[in-house]
Amino acid sequence: MSYAEQMARLTARKIEQTRVKQERLGARDEDDYGLVLPPASFKVDLPVRDATGQWSGPRSWAANFRWLMEHHPLYIDPDDAIAGRWMFMLSRMRLGYQLSRSNFAFDYSHLEPLQKKYDITTGIGKDAHFAPDYQIGLDLGWGGLLEKMRAARRKFADDDYAVELMDAEEQAILGVTIWTRRLAAAADDRAMTEDDPVRKSNLEEMARVCYKIAEARPETFREAVQWIAIFNMASRTYNRDGAGGQLDELLRPYYERDKAAGVLTDEDAEFYCFCLLLNDPHYYQIGGPAADGTDQTSRMSFIILEAAAKLKSSCNLTIRVWDGMDRSLFRRGVEILLGNRLGYPRFSGDKALVEGFMKNGYSAELARQRIAVGCNWMSLPGLEYTLNDVVKINIAKVFEVAFSESDSWTELEANYRRHFAAAVKVTAEGIDFHLDHQYLNEPELLLNLLSHGPIEKGRDVSHGGAMYYNMAIDGAGLAVVADSFGAIEQRVVDEKSLSFAEVKAAVAANFEGEDGERVRKLLESSGRYGAGGTAADRWAVKLTEILNGEIAGRTTPHGFKLIPGWFTWADTLRFGRAVGATPNGRKAGEPISHGANPLPGFRKDGALTAMATAIASVQPGYGNTAPWQLEVDIGLADDEEAVEKVMALIDGHFKMGGTLVNINVVDAEKILAAHKDPSKYPDLVVRVTGFTAYFNSLSPAFRQLVVKRLIREAV
Amino acid sequence: MSPYGVDNTMRGVVFDVKRGVTKDGPGLRTSVFLKGCPLRCVWCHNPESQAPEIERAVTTDEVCGREVSVGEVMDEVRRDKVFYASSGGGVTLTGGEPAMQLGFASALASAAHEEGIHVAFDTCGFAQWTVFEKLLSIVDLFLYDLKCMDTAKHREFTGVDNALILDNLRRLDTAGAKSWIRCPLVPGLNDSDSDLASLRVFIRSLRNVQKMEICPYHTLGLEKFAKFGRRVPGSVPTVPASSADIVRWEGVLFA
Repeated sequence: MSYAEQMARLTARKIEQTRVKQERLGARDEDDYGLVLPPASFKVDLPVRDATGQWSGPRSWAANFRWLMEHHPLYIDPDDAIAGRWMFMLSRMRLGYQLSRSNFAFDYSHLEPLQKKYDITTGIGKDAHFAPDYQIGLDLGWGGLLEKMRAARRKFADDDYAVELMDAEEQAILGVTIWTRRLAAAADDRAMTEDDPVRKSNLEEMARVCYKIAEARPETFREAVQWIAIFNMASRTYNRDGAGGQLDELLRPYYERDKAAGVLTDEDAEFYCFCLLLNDPHYYQIGGPAADGTDQTSRMSFIILEAAAKLKSSCNLTIRVWDGMDRSLFRRGVEILLGNRLGYPRFSGDKALVEGFMKNGYSAELARQRIAVGCNWMSLPGLEYTLNDVVKINIAKVFEVAFSESDSWTELEANYRRHFAAAVKVTAEGIDFHLDHQYLNEPELLLNLLSHGPIEKGRDVSHGGAMYYNMAIDGAGLAVVADSFGAIEQRVVDEKSLSFAEVKAAVAANFEGEDGERVRKLLESSGRYGAGGTAADRWAVKLTEILNGEIAGRTTPHGFKLIPGWFTWADTLRFGRAVGATPNGRKAGEPISHGANPLPGFRKDGALTAMATAIASVQPGYGNTAPWQLEVDIGLADDEEAVEKVMALIDGHFKMGGTLVNINVVDAEKILAAHKDPSKYPDLVVRVTGFTAYFNSLSPAFRQLVVKRLIREAV
Repeated sequence: MSPYGVDNTMRGVVFDVKRGVTKDGPGLRTSVFLKGCPLRCVWCHNPESQAPEIERAVTTDEVCGREVSVGEVMDEVRRDKVFYASSGGGVTLTGGEPAMQLGFASALASAAHEEGIHVAFDTCGFAQWTVFEKLLSIVDLFLYDLKCMDTAKHREFTGVDNALILDNLRRLDTAGAKSWIRCPLVPGLNDSDSDLASLRVFIRSLRNVQKMEICPYHTLGLEKFAKFGRRVPGSVPTVPASSADIVRWEGVLFA
């Protein structure tokens, strides 16, 4: 039996699991996450719930998590190098959970009127969205973490807060340890009934590895991979955390040691990486500079990349592109992207990210360690708390408020600035509120363990435990607002073909009626953001200056640093529903624009170079991203020089200040066919925003959006 | 006047400027489409580019062509300089036949050339030799169309004789100009085995050809004939070239 056969069977099972998930859970506009459904007979009976189905505080979270780990169904696949799959999200088991609004045990109704007015995604009560440092766990193992925690508890004996937190951490660690032992026993049982010698020996090794790493620190490559997977699954189960790390550097020491000892081949290493990536599409970075500025690309980077190439499933791997890099890693990444057409790997631009993050007052050494480990985001593993990607201001809504109060062009900009400042103020107050209360609402029991500080200081990472606080605020709806300002400037101010009052009336009436449609067409056909040299292009840059003016280098009222970005996540539909008609010709309720991207149809030729230039021009530039969502059609991908051309596009974008590029290679025919009957293409993966998702897991409205964008933007 | 002595105010008629083009020469390019063509190919896929003047479509309110200055076009061309550098690309003057607006085209080519932007010139080759002589020093690459070696057929399908076209290409080649030869092939019209064989022999006799490309016939031009009030030539196929056609052409031309 070869690894290729094992991989094929594992992939087939993953596709089948995705199909079943789709059937039972319906459409989800999220990452795939690698979650597997529990047996239908399994009943969750958490020990701590109040009368309303809620719980909060470290003790309750710990007790419920430990229960879940002690009872968690055991998933063993004799073809897999890794034991276990995760099946639940504890954080979503509180009654009345919604993705868009977390349960929160504290009342923030004093902030809500303004948050609603500006359609702010507050981040209050949101969890994870910062990066763990796996090195801590790999060095200590669960046993070492337990000792570290117990020592801290002794040190903080007089500090009730710290003692409660350490008690909770103890329960969390014991829960993971028990679950790991149960997995080991299950693998052992399975081995006894397995006839195939290869599978039998794999199961025996799986059992040995799990017994060992349930407490001891991992020492071999396979043990390290299983340890990372165990942490990932436990952390997912706790609160969906999906941040990975610099995977090549984390695994390299084990790889080199095992290779030197003659107990590991490159094929083994590739297979173990394949299983790790299959287990869960955590966000990993490979390549890029080390803290001292030397290139981190190693044989390990290539092994991980080849494992990802063979995965042909949902995967979130980012290659850091920089001047001192091994270009063959970049080239191979683009080849895989174009060859597999599955939306990965992605590429991050080191220059702008490092120089940008340093503007917040950090050193180059630290900035280089801030890596791509989330949907749109960078984080310092184990060092910072960020609320990345969960705090957003819908600037289309801010514009709507400003526009409705304006009776002239000159008032409009002033009103926008005033309302945007008010929106940032209430957002920042919300962040402070979150930081005040989140440790009681939902402490980060798993991520605390792999952070530098929470155990040492006896404080939850969200409540003073982290080394740095760099709180993200993203703007959403850039192109809608830039095009709206641009359309009015062009048609009303420059050409005088419409009056401000005419535009206002038509927008208020949602462009109904014959004259409304005439006005709408005139506005819609004005020069767009992305075309190059238009009023809307200048407004997009100005909107970025306004964003930076209120956020970059500023702090919350309590003094926590803020960092701006442009990103919409998968929320273009939800944000759009909250906003009436806008002067770019968009009707009420239609989706807003995507991240920093221009709107589809921004140029007749849809030029990728024009998109790259526009998106580079609106980078806030403080270390957080404004990603470029690039759709490449089959024509370009089939071009014999396609790899060079895509590399040139990415290089050019990064040279101009770009931060992150997510690429979908469009096979338009296939996507249209899948849109008609999603079940025909259960393996079709598209990149939705920063993440990849199975096309058939998306809701029909989202599929429609992807299809429309892909078809229109295809070169 | 520009700092390079190019007349930026010179005006011409352009019907499109496309950025981020991955065909029409090496790397990522900006293609500037100049209006007007001396040929009337029955298979033309841009029939709206044939007449030199700005024209309005018959069936829609579309307008084809706008008058622009060299400076305005260069503003657009400059936007992608970073990508020309990262990809080995540049600007491509195409059309129509860019040599039809020689003054404008050469001013544009000079402006780009003097800024270090690679210039490709997409031509049907039907112009006086003095035209190409003038372009030699400011064009980095000629994208040269070769449609048919048979003189009678060439006249039938394009409306002009091919002697001048072949002669210009020989002279350009002798002068050391780099070229990519592009052959628009249309099933049943110019793709017989003997057509292909003579193309091959001729192209092989040239020394500075860097690349030879087949442009397989497609039918996207057909509806544009009607749109711009022209009669669709009766002899042109109504279905695009098949992959079998392309395989056969490649077999003969690249053998």
